[in-house]
Amino acid sequence: MRMSFPSPEDLGRSLGEQQYIASDDITTVLYLAHGLGKPVLAEGPAGVGKTELAKAWAGATGRELIRLQCYEGLDETKALYEWEYAKQMLYSQLLRDKLNSLLADTHSLAEAADRIASEEDAFFSMRFLLARPLLKAILSEEPALLLIDEIDRADAEFEAFLLEVLSDFQVTVPEIGTLTAKHHPLVVLTSNNTRELSEALKRRCLYLFIDYPDLETELAVVRLRVPDLDLATARQAVELVHRLRQLDLRKSPGISETLDWARALVHLNAKSIDRETLQHTLTVLLKYDRDVQLARRALQRDADRRRQTEAERRARVLPPDDPGRETNSDG
Amino acid sequence: MDDRMVKFVAALRAAGVRISLAESQDAFAAIQAVGVMDRRRFRAALQTTLVKDRADRPAFDTLFPVYFGSGPRAMPSAEDQLTPEQIDLLRSALATLADELREMLERMLDGQGFSQQELDQAAERAGLSRARSMADQGWLARRMAQQLGLAQLMADIQMLLNQMAMVGTNPQDRADVQAFLEAGLANLQEQVQRQAGISLAERMRETVPQQLDDRPLMDIPFQNLSPDEIDRLKHEVSRLAARLRTRAALRQKRGKGRRLDPKSTLRANLRHGNVPFVLVHRVRRKKAHFTLICDVSTSMRPVVSFLLLLMYQVQAQVGRTRSFAFIDHMEDISQAFDGQRPELAVPEVLLRLPPGHYNTNLGRSLEGFFRDQLGGVDHRTTVIICGDGRNNYNPPRADLVGQLARKAHRLVWFNPEPPAYWGTGDSDMPAYAPRVHAVFQVANLRQLTRAVDQLFL
Repeated sequence: MRMSFPSPEDLGRSLGEQQYIASDDITTVLYLAHGLGKPVLAEGPAGVGKTELAKAWAGATGRELIRLQCYEGLDETKALYEWEYAKQMLYSQLLRDKLNSLLADTHSLAEAADRIASEEDAFFSMRFLLARPLLKAILSEEPALLLIDEIDRADAEFEAFLLEVLSDFQVTVPEIGTLTAKHHPLVVLTSNNTRELSEALKRRCLYLFIDYPDLETELAVVRLRVPDLDLATARQAVELVHRLRQLDLRKSPGISETLDWARALVHLNAKSIDRETLQHTLTVLLKYDRDVQLARRALQRDADRRRQTEAERRARVLPPDDPGRETNSDG
Repeated sequence: MDDRMVKFVAALRAAGVRISLAESQDAFAAIQAVGVMDRRRFRAALQTTLVKDRADRPAFDTLFPVYFGSGPRAMPSAEDQLTPEQIDLLRSALATLADELREMLERMLDGQGFSQQELDQAAERAGLSRARSMADQGWLARRMAQQLGLAQLMADIQMLLNQMAMVGTNPQDRADVQAFLEAGLANLQEQVQRQAGISLAERMRETVPQQLDDRPLMDIPFQNLSPDEIDRLKHEVSRLAARLRTRAALRQKRGKGRRLDPKSTLRANLRHGNVPFVLVHRVRRKKAHFTLICDVSTSMRPVVSFLLLLMYQVQAQVGRTRSFAFIDHMEDISQAFDGQRPELAVPEVLLRLPPGHYNTNLGRSLEGFFRDQLGGVDHRTTVIICGDGRNNYNPPRADLVGQLARKAHRLVWFNPEPPAYWGTGDSDMPAYAPRVHAVFQVANLRQLTRAVDQLFL
């Protein structure tokens, strides 16, 4: 396991080994996050590899990835910890005899209650604490990487609560006491920017905006992840995806869609992307009917225009009114 | 370096980027970590620590090269570039030029640029005090170049080369001298361009603070706002809307009306031997329907545009909103908001319903509403009438307002006028007010926000 990297370049190489192609911006930010012990807040459109980045980073640093998926209504019992009632219940049933013997020589109700109270620790111990991702990351024996995915989907109050945890990595469980992290986990928060995050949270994080990659980078990603697709087809596919991103779509295809599509093309054994293949597989890239219609029309227009310029070019070489004469005079 | 960093942070703040003390400390720490050797990493380190919002990127992108541009590149001095013979040649050619320019070219030969003082003076004379934003950098640089005589210098260089050609210098020497002079000129130009940026940034930093303070803007009455202030306020509305949304959502989630759901509670606690450890509440998702009735006569326009903006931005917490506008008759304007962003839809609606010479007539408008649109109002509808209640002495038809209030879940009235004015002149507010559930005064954005917030209680 590698604890840290001497330079951003090393980190970049290591991410590359995890099949993640990281830009200079990304490696610098991750390097800093490691060095300064700050969480990374990765923002950007869906499907540009924010979650992948966290996974690759975990792989590169040899840390366990602990993931907390956020959703509306997520609360502390789902994110931090919960008492395992059923287990406590079961134990108290099984230990009934023991309890009876413990209380056998008590004379009053109050005395019995006191006796039970003195044994309370047995029932509120780590044994019955169900650790959720945040607590898991804090208690982890080995250094871990905590991924808090889609924080923008959680409520503002959860964000505030998260701030507290992220600032000192310690949690107070009233029945047990304060639990402090042995190792500060690396933290990645991702957001699709569906709502404005609080200033306070942003202030504590290093901010990383990940946008759609340029053509060459995306091609490299496709080549790396889907090596079975030949270069020409891959390039054609990526160019097409880039063309689609220029359209006014409800959901532009992300890298993950490009990869899905590339895999689909391999499955279909496509040697090049002709019209028919495109018709059948466009739904892999686009997730809304309206988008599919729009893309079909736009691509059709592109094809028409290309055919037209092609025809014009040919017309310049060979005047269409009497091509025979030209060849005759030449011959 | 530290000094430049501090100035850079200050310039970013002046450009409206919020940077806390902790963040600028982070920036310093980040630079310690990555070093300053690699420019791209240096930039990435600053960006990630200082810029936390995508909207602030342009400010960073313009200011970064200003403060950490390629740096005052060392002027190429003549000794490095030319042979001694070529230098002599150049010097003798220089002797023919006017004093001032000769001085400048000679300095160039020694590998020096403009001094800071010269640059500052040039910036001052070029009209720095009239510059308004970083966008003026090109303009300022051009004027500074003029002040410093760069245009004349270019012409002189040409003249010099012509002279050298005339005295029959060999072409190779001439080409070398030309390359050297042109590189020197380009360097000077870059120096000017950079200085223009720095002067501007510095100036923005000194003059801007009052612009950032938008608190009082919330309290300025709508009709007193300048167009510029309206633009800034509209920006603010989105933030307010986001705040209202979360508040309304929270309230919906843990409002007082949370009822226990016995069935789900039993099911959830089966695993605890039916001891109810976990209580499950019925999720109450009764979202309100809104019907807005807006007076779009001249005096009411600013209020209405803000109201519409705010209401359509909190749609997520609302079941359905229908909106109507009236001056002398009622018009359904709901379609304008279908699938269109409210920022665009509002001006479109107001443009379609121009204020004219005809008179405000709520009475007649309400009659029209009762005739055509009453079906849309039921016990879950909250009706909002936004108007000043001034009917130009037309029949007020307060009875219709009363009927509407009984039919709707709630009927509230938003009026920009203070209560003291109600009943003066052609105001029919005293007739309307007792028949509605509540009247809010909404003369400025703060009051409007508070009133809209009340709707979600």
